[in-house]
Amino acid sequence: MKDNKVAEVKNLVKSYGAKGFLTKVLKGVDLEIQKKDFIAVMGPSGSGKTTLLNILSTIDKPTQGVVMVDGRDVSKMPNRELSKLRRDKIGFIFQDYNLLDTMSLQDNIALPLAMSGVSGKECIQKTGELARMFGLEEHLSKYPYQLSGGQKQRGAACRALITEPEIIFADEPTGALDSKSSRELLECLRKVNEHGQAAILMVTHDPFSASYARDVYMLRDGRIICRISRGSDRKEFYDRIIDVQTSMGGDFSWE
Amino acid sequence: MGMMRLAVLNFKNSFKNYLSLIISLAFTCVVFLNFQNILYSSAFDVLGTRNREYINMLVWMTSFVLGCFMVFFIWYSTNVFLVRRKREIGIYIFMGLSNQKIGQMYWIETVLIGLSALGIGLVAGMAASGLFQMILFVVSDLKLEIRFCSDIRSILVTVAVYLVIYMIFAWKGYGNIVRSSVLEMILAAKQNEYVRQNRFLLIGKAILGVVILGCGYGLALKEGRTNVMGNAFGAVVLVTVGVYLLFGGLIPFLFWTLASNKLFLYRGTRTLWINNVIFRMKKNYRTYAVVCVLMLCSVTALAMGFAMKERYDNMIRFENTYTFQLISSRSDLDKPARDLIEGESPIVFSSTLPVLSLDGSFVKAGGNYSKYEFVSYSYLRQLARDTGMELLFEEPKEDEVFLVSHLHLLSLITQQTNEIIVNGKLYRQTGEASVPYLGYLQESMNFYVMNDHEYEKLVPLGEELYTYNYRIQDLERFARIRDNLDVLVEETKENHTGRVAIDPQSNEIDWIKMLYSICIFMFLVFIFASGSIMFMKLYNDAFEERERCKVLRKMGIPQELLRRSVAAELLTAYGTAFVVMAVSSLFSVGALGKMMYTNLLSVNVVSVLVVLGILAVWYGLSLWTYERNGEIE
Repeated sequence: MKDNKVAEVKNLVKSYGAKGFLTKVLKGVDLEIQKKDFIAVMGPSGSGKTTLLNILSTIDKPTQGVVMVDGRDVSKMPNRELSKLRRDKIGFIFQDYNLLDTMSLQDNIALPLAMSGVSGKECIQKTGELARMFGLEEHLSKYPYQLSGGQKQRGAACRALITEPEIIFADEPTGALDSKSSRELLECLRKVNEHGQAAILMVTHDPFSASYARDVYMLRDGRIICRISRGSDRKEFYDRIIDVQTSMGGDFSWE
Repeated sequence: MGMMRLAVLNFKNSFKNYLSLIISLAFTCVVFLNFQNILYSSAFDVLGTRNREYINMLVWMTSFVLGCFMVFFIWYSTNVFLVRRKREIGIYIFMGLSNQKIGQMYWIETVLIGLSALGIGLVAGMAASGLFQMILFVVSDLKLEIRFCSDIRSILVTVAVYLVIYMIFAWKGYGNIVRSSVLEMILAAKQNEYVRQNRFLLIGKAILGVVILGCGYGLALKEGRTNVMGNAFGAVVLVTVGVYLLFGGLIPFLFWTLASNKLFLYRGTRTLWINNVIFRMKKNYRTYAVVCVLMLCSVTALAMGFAMKERYDNMIRFENTYTFQLISSRSDLDKPARDLIEGESPIVFSSTLPVLSLDGSFVKAGGNYSKYEFVSYSYLRQLARDTGMELLFEEPKEDEVFLVSHLHLLSLITQQTNEIIVNGKLYRQTGEASVPYLGYLQESMNFYVMNDHEYEKLVPLGEELYTYNYRIQDLERFARIRDNLDVLVEETKENHTGRVAIDPQSNEIDWIKMLYSICIFMFLVFIFASGSIMFMKLYNDAFEERERCKVLRKMGIPQELLRRSVAAELLTAYGTAFVVMAVSSLFSVGALGKMMYTNLLSVNVVSVLVVLGILAVWYGLSLWTYERNGEIE
């Protein structure tokens, strides 16, 4: 099973602040992500969800512990190699889309591939394929301001997938979307995951979004307190997530 | 809190942000004040009344140009300020302030900025007056005493001109805010989002720009007589409008075309910087056009400076061909004059040349002069042999003439005629040369060289005057020989004898030295202005890049590629302005060359290269700040 491991954290600790005034955000998190995983991380505000995602995605550095991505310890990697790793192995989907407003949707999607030196012909071909998959063919020549939130986020997902990364990190991807757009995006992500294109780690506060994942990790006070795995029925999984949330009590104040 | 206090507080808080605007405005005051100082300074009086008058005229003309420049700079600065303010105005609107109140606040802040700039400019201007004069005198090679304090009149003129211009724009901004709709002001912050442009509009602008620019270039090189100034003015207007449309139409259209060719676009950093150029061009094309026009002014000023320097040196050489010249209706003055001169100093070379002066009624040529002069080819050939000067042309045929003229500093008649009718006969002008066969006399007397036979035919119609030209060896004896020749002239019975003595120490045309140093100075002003405007624009744009770069870094785009993309983007901004300027300068400097009756191509190339060097420094500086402000480094 070792070959299937995409990313892993062991005893991850992250603190902020100066000596004597340290705030521990993550207090020893262990997590393993396999090739076909679709993981949702849930937790109240300040529980360390985004910090965990940032460290796993190599944007932030841990204070303590081991972070392995693609079999390599990222905490010791120089910046140049980290950039390469992010470009080749990792895809990002942000809450506020982060499409570049200076370029069309097609250029936005093709950007990571073009920047890594892939031929124009291949960029065009892959952009077309992904756009078809995410229902965006009609909108390729449009600029971000001409697209709806859902279209923008699906565009962002295409951009994340174009380099064929091993894992996609999605930070509240449905946070700014209405329910229909959220459903469309999540369906697309599930399709991508089921076809084995990439593992997905999604941070969300929304149980409905989380129910599209295979596993949900609940995070509180910098620790993973439980893991819920999905059966065959998404609706039933959704109910269980709600139940866990309820059982976790009043201090689980959601964003 | 009252409006005044709020405005003062805003001004204090944002002083640092507006420092670049304040410094730019202060700079215009410093330059203007220092030129006014020349006008009222007594330092130039020692150069004599004629030089003083010419210098005053130059300073007035320069002040006019600087005044126009001040108008532009104040317009630009207040506009930048207004746009920035408008973006913050949304907040005040939700606080319940009326447009009038917001306008008042803007007006007070603008006036505070203007007054600070004026204050800094006056103090710096007075402090720099000595330095400015020193540089001007050194560049002009004038040995004058430097006066350090500013005349009160120059200060008053500077304050008056600045305040009048500034207040007009401050009130204009106030009016703009009062008339603005709430929605427009709130949307001012969101203007970034609209990138797409109407393709047909772009094509229309591109075609119009090329046509207008072409007309401007054509007009610049069009030869003329009385309409040269009108043509020059028309060319300036057309080129300015053309450049504006070029940056608003053709250049974005070219980049659009590149961007729509995805096979070309998806290669390396092109996706990033070409799209960014399109985005910036939409917002900044006016600025790029202004920068380009200013650069064109700067290169033209520099070329003019170089050309003036060269022309001054040549004119000095031209005028000093001979030390003494006599012109007389008598043909027997060579021996007495030679005896007188050789009694004091050896003669290096000498010549005599009969010149036929015909009344203007016999001649129909390009100009409308009362007298026209003609010379026989054989006499001129003899003069060339005697003086060692080159004879550049063969003997004209019976229906041909060759024009020998002086060096033009600047002529407003650029049209050349190649035909002349003398006593009813048509002669074809085969060429023109500025060889100083008659030295100083030639400065006020162009002459046509003709076939000996034709010349003889015309002699009965006019008066033949004899010129006697001597170059002496011992210049120490200059004054004594001059006095002796004066006695000879007085004692000559015929009354048609005149003497010209060319004092090698004369400072008669020293004002030209000022002209070229003023040109160099204008060049510096323009290049500083164009560089600083571009720099300010990019400085501000860089802040908008922060978010984009953050996203790109997260996506794993390496720092190196981001820097390369920014370098390419900034290079395009400077490069397009430079290329348009370099092409346009061929016409502006070409027009200058026509006015000076010379080819200034080499001067043009050198000037463009100098500008390129300075722009490279501005580019490096912009790149450095852009990377820092955009957090790309």
